[in-house]
Amino acid sequence: MSKAKSANIVTVTSPTDGSTVRFVYEDPKQGGVKDVYFDPNKQYAVAFFRKKLDFNGKERINRLVGPYRQSIFEREGGDYWKPLFRWPEKVVEYDGRTGIVLPFYEKHFFFGPKTSLAGAEKEGYWFASAKNFNKSVPPEEKGALLGFLQVCLNLSRATKRLHAAGLAHSDLSYKNCLIDPTSGSACIIDIDGLVVPSLFPPDVVGTRDFIAPEVVATMHLRSDDKNRVLPTRSTDLHALAVLIYIYLFHRHPLRGSKFYSVDTDVQETHEMGQDALFVEHPTDASNRVRIEANDQPFLPWIDTAKNPYKIMGPYLKELFDQAFVKGLHQPNLRPTADDWENALVKTLDMIQPCSNPKCVKKWFVFDNTSKPSCPYCGTPFSGILPVLDFYSSRDGKSFRADNHRLMVFPNQYLYQWHVDRNVFPNERITDEQKKAVGYFIFHQDKWLFVNQTLQTLKDLTRDKMIPPKSYVELTEGLQLHLSNAPSGRLARVILVKA
Amino acid sequence: MRRLPVYLLLDISGSMSGEPIQAVNNGIQILHSALRREPQAHEIAYLSVITFESSVKQLIPLTELNDFQPPSLKAGGGTSLGGALDLVTKCAEREVIKNSPDSKGDYKPLVYIMTDGEPTDNPDKYLPAFKAYKWGVVVACAAGSGANTAMLQKIAGENVLALDVCDSSSIAAYFKYVSSSIVVSSKRVDAGGEPGSVSELPPPPPEISLIKF
Repeated sequence: MSKAKSANIVTVTSPTDGSTVRFVYEDPKQGGVKDVYFDPNKQYAVAFFRKKLDFNGKERINRLVGPYRQSIFEREGGDYWKPLFRWPEKVVEYDGRTGIVLPFYEKHFFFGPKTSLAGAEKEGYWFASAKNFNKSVPPEEKGALLGFLQVCLNLSRATKRLHAAGLAHSDLSYKNCLIDPTSGSACIIDIDGLVVPSLFPPDVVGTRDFIAPEVVATMHLRSDDKNRVLPTRSTDLHALAVLIYIYLFHRHPLRGSKFYSVDTDVQETHEMGQDALFVEHPTDASNRVRIEANDQPFLPWIDTAKNPYKIMGPYLKELFDQAFVKGLHQPNLRPTADDWENALVKTLDMIQPCSNPKCVKKWFVFDNTSKPSCPYCGTPFSGILPVLDFYSSRDGKSFRADNHRLMVFPNQYLYQWHVDRNVFPNERITDEQKKAVGYFIFHQDKWLFVNQTLQTLKDLTRDKMIPPKSYVELTEGLQLHLSNAPSGRLARVILVKA
Repeated sequence: MRRLPVYLLLDISGSMSGEPIQAVNNGIQILHSALRREPQAHEIAYLSVITFESSVKQLIPLTELNDFQPPSLKAGGGTSLGGALDLVTKCAEREVIKNSPDSKGDYKPLVYIMTDGEPTDNPDKYLPAFKAYKWGVVVACAAGSGANTAMLQKIAGENVLALDVCDSSSIAAYFKYVSSSIVVSSKRVDAGGEPGSVSELPPPPPEISLIKF
């Protein structure tokens, strides 16, 4: 390996691909296990492990930059995953230390130059903590509920991809992801601890707040004890559920008021380990959050009576129940990343803009009642709210409910994944399928659906075809056959008047 | 919500006058602004400043970062290190909230001591009570060659840092170290309990040597 030093700029050759890597070798940014340096043009970062890596450690990062990287990014559809991970690109050696080259963060993962946190990274914790969200995050960076749901969707997708590749992250947390709720983006950043079951065991137990109860409960055992539980895909699924809950509610699902010991370490072992209990458990209220005198900066988010988890709608409520009630101590019952992706996609179809321009969350999930109101600012919905319930058929004759509804708001679009049950907005979707097929407008006191590209849209109620570039009025009980393809869906309209 | 109490014990004796005390003032400002840019620290860290010269004073009680005003310290007088140990123990007993059925307890407090000279009182007298308190981390910094490192080792065990000279760049480096150390503690990376020794914290910058035995 060649080395050349001028001033403090170091130039080395990466053994991964023989390319030249340059970095300013001074004043590193210090993380938990790595020192991070930057290339003079800030195109990439070079992170050196402070401790000398053992054989396994080196082998792991060589596979990360090699086969694992290729299997995810260098095949068809690989570009879809790139924004979701800050994946190590190559290995370098310098000064007796091993390092990895990482792409620089995208611009939207830094706080804007005119804000109070100008230039700081949008580490997930800024948004996770109620106090930071209230007092530190600049108002223009707070995003809206829509953006937070998209952030969670992206995190679910990234986790799903790792798991599909047979990998486990082992340390998913708000510090290992950057999020931008204004654009709905998320990026998993610390990939180098990846666990490959039976090949590379985990080298960390995870981050406080995210460690699965079975791992916390057995942490006192030696790492070779057969009863010791180490991070795996199922502990990732606990961490993912916690992460989603934290981003949507700005509070932790297990940190309530139940008391175990005056010793904070013992308290931690109980409340995160064998005695972990959901703060919103439907039948056991013993760990409800108690609002204390110094909690003012955390309100209203930590108040579960004001913002109960059911405000995220039926699909997410069911998964939170599965993650924190049924699956909290039964890892095999935890929702998969795929389950979260599905539920989040459906939930995104149930949101409504809040009519209060000052509302902090700007959107809310429709609660399936006839008198909807925004749970954040209390502003009631007024007017007519059309709801489309989707049905699909296996035989082209009888249609069954898909348990998927679309809440309509002005200028909302209808997509191919609403029309065709074989299309889902995930990595397999084509560019053509990403285009809207029609939109909804409120015009002269009527709700209309304007068909843009659906060739075989039919109004079953009036037995009439609706060709592209024409519209149909949404009326109570209207049935629309969205496509005559065998996988085409039927939509039934309900009008909620509030 | 749980807090992470941080006590800064600062020697403002006569020997610190001039460049060193200015560097300490500057260091506290840098520490404060660095912590405000770290989300975990910003949320949970509470800072207190205890100064010691001939007398000992809790200049700033435990204060949330948003409300913390970096002080402007002036140097003069002796080095009552023992008095400072006594005071920080009493402050912690009074200010740090214990976990109880009625209230979420604070994390174990962090203590950073910096001194440049020989104690002018008897720290041994207050050491047992100080040692009996459950601190998260105690780090002592010997600023320059005049500090009594043997005494600091009794106080902080192996967590004794040494600045070769007590000038502005090494003092700045020390405060940068304190800031990384608080950040790491606030994240508590490996969750296997609270951090206990310097080896779990970020390594000291090159200007500071870690005294090892």
